[in-house]
Amino acid sequence: MTAFVTLAGVYNTPVLSSVLGGERSRDQGLMTTSRALDQFLSSVEKRAFKIAQLGLRHDDDALDAVQDAMMKLVQSYSARPVEEWRPLFYRILANRIRDMQRRRTVRGRIMAWLPVRDSEDDEEFDAIAQAPSPEPEPAKRLELDEAIGVLETAVAELPPRQQQAFLLRNFEGLDVNETASAMGCSEGSVKTHYFRALESLRSRLGDVF
Amino acid sequence: MTDPTDFEQRTREILDESAGRLDGRTRSRLTQARHAALAQLEQPQRHWWRSFVPAGAAAAVAVLAVVIWSGSPEQPLAAPGDDMELLADADAPDFVNDGEDLEFYEWAAGEVET
Repeated sequence: MTAFVTLAGVYNTPVLSSVLGGERSRDQGLMTTSRALDQFLSSVEKRAFKIAQLGLRHDDDALDAVQDAMMKLVQSYSARPVEEWRPLFYRILANRIRDMQRRRTVRGRIMAWLPVRDSEDDEEFDAIAQAPSPEPEPAKRLELDEAIGVLETAVAELPPRQQQAFLLRNFEGLDVNETASAMGCSEGSVKTHYFRALESLRSRLGDVF
Repeated sequence: MTDPTDFEQRTREILDESAGRLDGRTRSRLTQARHAALAQLEQPQRHWWRSFVPAGAAAAVAVLAVVIWSGSPEQPLAAPGDDMELLADADAPDFVNDGEDLEFYEWAAGEVET
């Protein structure tokens, strides 16, 4: 009991209590940031994956791009205001997708000189991959399957900047200013790219939709 | 002709549906990626200059070693006391005073070399 009283006295000294108080408030701030980031990342991760998938047309590369963007955002921009996270995250993701597209072009040139190896034979059965996802009724599902396939093919074949503008504006729901920030261009360019993307998609899918 | 607003709405719904249909493996990997990213916050902040600490310590040790090695006194060829003993030795040959024996010593040295 005496020891407790003595220790309590030490902890109540102005210097030590201010140090401990500082650590406590820093820990609380860290927890708040961590929770906010977790909430933000979980709110964008699926759409971010679809954007990367349409840009890269490869699931594993798309997952890598999204993970890199998450890591970079947390590492470098977690202290920035929450409202800046979305355009920053999508800017990082767009840069990552572009880098991977360029690298793939170079790798494609090199691989063209090497013998082809079928990688699908090496893939093992993955129970998680086979897990059913929440789906609607069969008839509705068929209709949606077709619509998804047609739309995603058309979006994937858009020029990269039009694709980016369309996905960020329409799919992710960024406004013109945020999209311009994410794409690293002017608002006028965003409007032009988006308009052309819409025209291209409408002329191709107008009859289907 | 579809109204542009309807068209945008429809395409958005379809893409949302597609995003909602991600398979278990992809969803699991996205969750893992998120947790890995957030785990960075738990780690203590690393300052850029800390990466130079090992290299700096090695350089400091190397400089210290060079200073100690180059600063150590060289072994003298002969201590000053030895010269005095030689001069004071009565049995040592007197090269200065015995000028006539100098030719003999040169000849003896030449013989030893041949």
